[in-house]
Amino acid sequence: MSVNLVKGVVKPILAGFGITARRLKHKKVTVMYPEQIREQYPRTRWRHFLTRYDSGLERCIGCSLCAGACPARCIYVEAKENTDTERYSPGERYAVRYEINMIRCIFCGYCQEACPTGAIVLRKNFELADYKREDFIYTKERLLEEYPGQSDEPFKGHYATEPAPVFQG
Amino acid sequence: MAAAVQIETVNITINDIEIAVPKGELIVEAVKRLGLEIPIFCYHPRMKPVGMCRMCIVEVGFKQPDGTVRKMPKPQAACTLPASEGMAVYTDTEMVHRDRKGVLEFLLINHPLDCPICDRGGECPLQNNTLFYGPSTSRYVELKRHAPKAFPLSKYVTLDLERCIQCGRCVRFTEEISGDSELAFRFRGANMQPSTFELRDFESKFSGNVIEICPVGALTSAKYRFRARPWDLETKPAVCTVCSNGCNVWFDYRVGKMVRINGRTNEGVNEEWTCDKGKFGHEFYNSEDRLLTPLVREGDQLVPTDWARVYSDVIRAFANGGDKVAALGGAANSNEDVFMLNRLMTGIFGTKNLDHRFERNLVTGVGEKLGVSEVQSTIASLEDAPSMLVFGTSLADELPIVFLRVRKAWFKNGAKVVVAHHAPTDADSFAEVILRYKEGTEAAVASGLLSLLVSAGKAQVPAATADAIKPFTPEHVEQLSGVPAEKLRVAAELLEGAPIITTRSMYNQASGVDALEALAGLAMVTNGKFNCYSLQANAEGATLLGTKEGMHTHQILNAAAAGELKALWLVNVDPFALYPDRELVQQALENVEFLAVQGTVASEAMHYASVVLPQCAPAEMDGTYTNVERRVQRMRPVLKPKGSTKPGWNIFSEIAVRLRPATPFFNPGEVMAEIAKENPAFEGATYDKLPAEGFVIR
Repeated sequence: MSVNLVKGVVKPILAGFGITARRLKHKKVTVMYPEQIREQYPRTRWRHFLTRYDSGLERCIGCSLCAGACPARCIYVEAKENTDTERYSPGERYAVRYEINMIRCIFCGYCQEACPTGAIVLRKNFELADYKREDFIYTKERLLEEYPGQSDEPFKGHYATEPAPVFQG
Repeated sequence: MAAAVQIETVNITINDIEIAVPKGELIVEAVKRLGLEIPIFCYHPRMKPVGMCRMCIVEVGFKQPDGTVRKMPKPQAACTLPASEGMAVYTDTEMVHRDRKGVLEFLLINHPLDCPICDRGGECPLQNNTLFYGPSTSRYVELKRHAPKAFPLSKYVTLDLERCIQCGRCVRFTEEISGDSELAFRFRGANMQPSTFELRDFESKFSGNVIEICPVGALTSAKYRFRARPWDLETKPAVCTVCSNGCNVWFDYRVGKMVRINGRTNEGVNEEWTCDKGKFGHEFYNSEDRLLTPLVREGDQLVPTDWARVYSDVIRAFANGGDKVAALGGAANSNEDVFMLNRLMTGIFGTKNLDHRFERNLVTGVGEKLGVSEVQSTIASLEDAPSMLVFGTSLADELPIVFLRVRKAWFKNGAKVVVAHHAPTDADSFAEVILRYKEGTEAAVASGLLSLLVSAGKAQVPAATADAIKPFTPEHVEQLSGVPAEKLRVAAELLEGAPIITTRSMYNQASGVDALEALAGLAMVTNGKFNCYSLQANAEGATLLGTKEGMHTHQILNAAAAGELKALWLVNVDPFALYPDRELVQQALENVEFLAVQGTVASEAMHYASVVLPQCAPAEMDGTYTNVERRVQRMRPVLKPKGSTKPGWNIFSEIAVRLRPATPFFNPGEVMAEIAKENPAFEGATYDKLPAEGFVIR
């Protein structure tokens, strides 16, 4: 009876703890999110950014190719003409409004692929949760990188002030 | 309709498929019969081929007696090659593919790769052809040609010289189609550039078309510049309502906003062209001045209110008004609107004081008086006329698309055009005879022409008319009008069977009505066709569906100015803009007790309004419009109505229902069915029968 008890109950328990004990010397796979954030793989595609040239000018030329390539139809671009006094991008054209509907976005990265100037890039910031639906519409203001130039003054971009048209995808 | 003509055909083979095509048909057209396509840049079906771009090259051979095909040593341009017996065409051989690649590589030597910011990108023939037929890379590493970007040729057209591939379509358009020859090539070789003389403004009345026919983004629209990319746009067919030609257009919009207007093919009306007034005249859709809510006057101000309030005010003012109420306008509204307005005014309010005309002379129309139709020629039929009389109108300004047809008749078929007007017109450039009379002597010139034909014994007229026109000998006419007698004689010789084209602006001239009578008589004696074309989007519909009894515009305005009118309704019309006597309008609008102003955009008349009824714009509602040749064309809704605007027919029908409960009309299709029931002329225009190209009332 007692032999059976040892064989049938105690031994498996000890064996189980044995596995646990052996595992203790392995490296931990979980992290204490959100205090710790795991490093993402190099080609991870999450939040979009609109990048700038070193001069501070925006790379985006408002060509809408990203919107054309987008399978979720979640990008809305409106373009305007640069003038000599108000210049935002190197060529004739810049995006006066650039919006991404993050609820619709499937993070396929086609926009990045389509972009002729490398303006729109998907980076590793994956914390995109929010409380209100409206907050998922990422405007140009939110997408555009900070100006990394030497000056202390942040680069003053120009954004459309009137309310955005109803997005109909 | 012309009788069926035996067309001589020739047997050719295209890619070894045998086919019979009309003799002399260009190969570039002939291959379309097999569903094949040859890439093109400079060739345009409506213009003469020039063979400038060499994109359409094909291999061509001829059948030898022994059955083999002997090919020409070099490829040929399909756009300048007429089909002839035994011709063998190959569009799909190794050599053709290689040569197309070569041509595209050449064309791209200087073409900048700024497609992402080019307004043509996405609908660009050069892009498409390069994608389908071109090389994937270029071997040229040299610097490209540079020129100023975005040079404003005019306020509508922007030229980007770097992108030009020198196909000459724009230059040929201004030479062959619009006839103003504003554009020409300067310099040679890579520096060749289309430009205006001394870089003046490109002032063509049809300049918008060169934007559409440019196969690259060299000529782009200044209004559409950077507004959208083609794949952002939604497109629906529409009818232009800026003037009475009723051109078919594509209405491009984005997130509920009008973006641009492009020509849509309708062989009966505008072929594929648009005029600048139409192409760039739809900006009011996005205007800040659009009326969005009903307004009612409170003290000095018009304050927003709801439809119920406006309806009850209108009903209080108009109901049982009898002869004390009146309505003006409607020529810019759809047939359905006009019909419902007429029904409301005559049937419910019990008045026949309703007019849409604003000319100086509002006598009974000449056509009605003489028992002839005022519209006898279709636009397309003008093309086949051997001679024409354009009388008293600057056609390119008043009816641009009719002008293009008249010019085409001259350019293609050698029609002899007699132009009579008191000022220089665009039609003078191709006129056979120009009769330049002193302003106000229209009647003398028209009677002089009629008199010449009658005295030559070519026609019989009633004795009274014969006596009336007898004094108008060419010499007497010369004294009166300054038109040389000899010219008048030459012109009269040409008029046998000629369509006579004039417009309702003749009613604005002092002697215009007499002139129109003489012209109608002239058409009768020469077996010609008399056309007094109207000028507003649906003026013909308003004429056909409106009432002819009751007071006309002058009487209505005079009665209003004298304080005799209780209520006046301005239906989508600003009398300040249209009526010749501004002061009378002001007095009338000030003195009328109740003024209802219905419209799409804020107008000057609104300052006097008691209530304002916002009506949706043409592209925001379903409806039909009767154009200059009485072609009824349907415009389906493209955009959603803005704010709380309503279609005109709906406004009238809702008011009618409040006064006399009955089953209302629920959609304009039902209204049109009712129109057809009451007015058999519209029988073929009911929505289930109306063809896409429109129905011409005869």
